[in-house]
Amino acid sequence: MLEKHVIDAVDVETTLLSESEQQARDLGIQMMKSFGFKDVDVVFVEHNGFAARIRLRAYVYRPGDRYSWVDGGDQK
Amino acid sequence: MKIVLVPLDPVHDVAVKMLNREFSQRGHQTILLPPDMKMEEIIEVCQKEIPDYIMVSRTLGYNAAELLGRFIDLVDAAGLRRKCKVVVGGKAITKELAAELGYDAGFGEKTRWEEVVAYVEGKELSEEAQRIKKSKKDITQQYTYQIKDKEFLGLLEKITDQIIDWASERTSPGVERAKIREKILKGENLWDEYIKLCDDLVKSYYREKLVPKHVRLITQEEIDKLNELINRTSFAPKVLRHTTDKPLVFVQYGTGCPFMDAMHIKISEAWGADGVLHFDPSWGARCEGLLEGLLAHEEDGSIITLENLKLIKSALNDATLWCVRAHRGVNTPETVLLAHEAGADLTKINMVYGSLNGGTDPERLTVDGFYSIKLAAKYNMPFDLPTNEELGGVPAPEAFAGMIVVAYLGVKLGARPILKPLFCYSPDAIINKYMEDNYVDYNVGKILALREIIDAPIWPGEPIGFMTHTEDRVQSAMTTALHAALGKSLELDAITVSSTDEAYARGAITTSARIDSLRAIADAFRFFGKTKIEPTKQAYEYAKSIKDGIYQTLKKVADRGDFVASLYEGLFGSKEEGANPGRAGRGTVKKC
Repeated sequence: MLEKHVIDAVDVETTLLSESEQQARDLGIQMMKSFGFKDVDVVFVEHNGFAARIRLRAYVYRPGDRYSWVDGGDQK
Repeated sequence: MKIVLVPLDPVHDVAVKMLNREFSQRGHQTILLPPDMKMEEIIEVCQKEIPDYIMVSRTLGYNAAELLGRFIDLVDAAGLRRKCKVVVGGKAITKELAAELGYDAGFGEKTRWEEVVAYVEGKELSEEAQRIKKSKKDITQQYTYQIKDKEFLGLLEKITDQIIDWASERTSPGVERAKIREKILKGENLWDEYIKLCDDLVKSYYREKLVPKHVRLITQEEIDKLNELINRTSFAPKVLRHTTDKPLVFVQYGTGCPFMDAMHIKISEAWGADGVLHFDPSWGARCEGLLEGLLAHEEDGSIITLENLKLIKSALNDATLWCVRAHRGVNTPETVLLAHEAGADLTKINMVYGSLNGGTDPERLTVDGFYSIKLAAKYNMPFDLPTNEELGGVPAPEAFAGMIVVAYLGVKLGARPILKPLFCYSPDAIINKYMEDNYVDYNVGKILALREIIDAPIWPGEPIGFMTHTEDRVQSAMTTALHAALGKSLELDAITVSSTDEAYARGAITTSARIDSLRAIADAFRFFGKTKIEPTKQAYEYAKSIKDGIYQTLKKVADRGDFVASLYEGLFGSKEEGANPGRAGRGTVKKC
C-alpha cells in the first residue's frame, strides 16, 4: 500500500550505543530488517567511543524497478 | 623504504598523493602511479622496482572485493608476495576485508596518514599522540572589565551604588535559606529552620515524604547501573573549532531526568561540546525551597538537588565546563551555593531578565541576586547574564542596559560577569525590520555596541539563532552553524547552541539532534577557518543606535535613583514591549 507513495526509499536516523562502528552497522541492519525492510543499507555512520550516529536506508525501489506510483498498483 | 603507491581506482588518488608527500618528506623512496592503470601494468612496475611495500588505494565500493582479490592473485603469481608487503586502504576498505583477501594490512575510511606512516616505519602510535587534549578554559581571564566611556561609567556607578546601599539592608527567605543551607553543609542540623522557610510542596516532601506530581525517586539500583554505563563511555576527545581558539561551544541540557541528561552530556562531549548548562524546571524557580535526593522529572527541566547535581558532575569529563543556571527564581542564592558545592564552574544570574521575563518579583530578585553575586564572587565562580527578555519583545538596548548594570554590580562585588547577548530574530527586530536583508548586521551591531562600552567576555546564547530554527533537521543545523560561524568571525568567547530539535515542542529533544547540530558547527568552522564574515555598513549604524539606546536607558534609571522601582516602572522594558514584572516571592523582602 505505502509503496504507492514512497518515491524511492525510507531513511531511519538514530544514535546507537555500540562498542564499535561494525557493531553499530550490524545493529542498524538488524533493526531495519526487523521492521520488515529487505533492501537495506547503512548510508552514514560515525562511531565515537561508545555511541554511533547512524543513518539507515531501506530502498523501496531501485532505479529500473517497476514503480507502484507509476503503475498505480502494489506490484514492484 | 621503497614504496609503490597505487590508486586502484578510475579517478581517486588523493590519499596516495598525501601518503606520497609524507613518505617523501620522511626520506622514503616512493613511486606514485596514476589512476586507472591496468593491473598488469602495475605488476610490471612492481616487478621492476621490487619495493618493500605496495600500497593500494580503493575509493569506489563497486566490485572492490573482486578487484582487490584479483590484484593480490596477480601479485602472488608474479612472485612479489614473498618480497614485499601489500597494503590496501580507502573508503571501501575494512580491516576484515583486507585480511580476508590476504593483504598484510588494511586501512579504512577514517585512517589518518600518521597511522600508515607508523605502520611502515614499524612504530607504535602512542595513545598520547593520537589523543586530542582538552582542558578547561577560563573565558574571563583576559578581560579588565573596564568601562570605556566615562559617561557610561558615571551612570553605572550611580545605579550600582544605589543597589548596593539598598540591597545590603535587606534579606529574603531565599537569602536566609542559602545561609542555613551553608551551615547544613558544614554539618549543622538546621533542617527544621530550613523547612519553615519553604512552600507547602517542599514542606510536604520533607515532613510527609510526599513526592511532587511528575517527580520520581531514583533507586540505588538505577544509580549503580548508570555509573557502570558512564564508566564505559570512553571516547576520543573532539574539538569543533578548526584553526581558531574561539568560541567555546556549550549545549544546554535539562531533559527532566538526570540519567537522560548524563547520556546527552556524554554524547555532546563525544561530539565536541566544550561545556554544558543545567536547566531546571520552571516551577522550581517559583517554589520556595529546594528538594533533596536523586529525583527524575517527567517534564522539561531537571530538578536542582545537591544529589542530582553531584550525579551530573560524576558524568562530566574533566575538561567539560559546567554552568548551573540560578538567575531567575526564588531559590537563586541557594542554587549558586549548591552549584559550587557540586563542583560547577559557572553560574547564571541576572535580576533584570529574571524579574521581567522569568516570573520573579523585581524587589525579591534584586535582594536574592545581590546575595547570589556575592556568593559567586566568594566561590570564584564566573556568572553569565542572559538577556532573553529580548525574546519577550524587549528591545535589545533596554535588555543590554539591564545586563550591563548587573555586570558592573558584579565587578564591584568582586565577581567575574560574562555578557550574554542573544543572536536571535527577536520580535523587536521583526517589527522594526532590522533583519529584513540578513541575520548578520543586527547581531554584529549588538556585539560592537557592547565592546564599545565594556571590556568583558561575550558569550551569545541561549541558544544562538533563536527564532530562526524550524522543525526541519537540515535547516535547523544550518541556521545554528551559520550563527556559530558569525560568533567565530566576531571572535566571541563562547556560544550556546541548540539541537536540531530546537523548534520541536511536542517531546524531548534527541541525542541525534544534538549530534547533527554539533557536526554542522564543526563544518561551519572548517569552512570559514580564520576568514571573517563581512557585515554591511548598516551593522555600524545599528551599533551606534544600540549604544545610544543603552545610554538613554541607563540615564533614565540613574535619574530615577531607584533600581527596583525602575524594574517595576518599565525603564528596562515596558509591559507594552513585553516586560512583565514577576510575582513569585512578592512581599517577602525584609529589612535586616
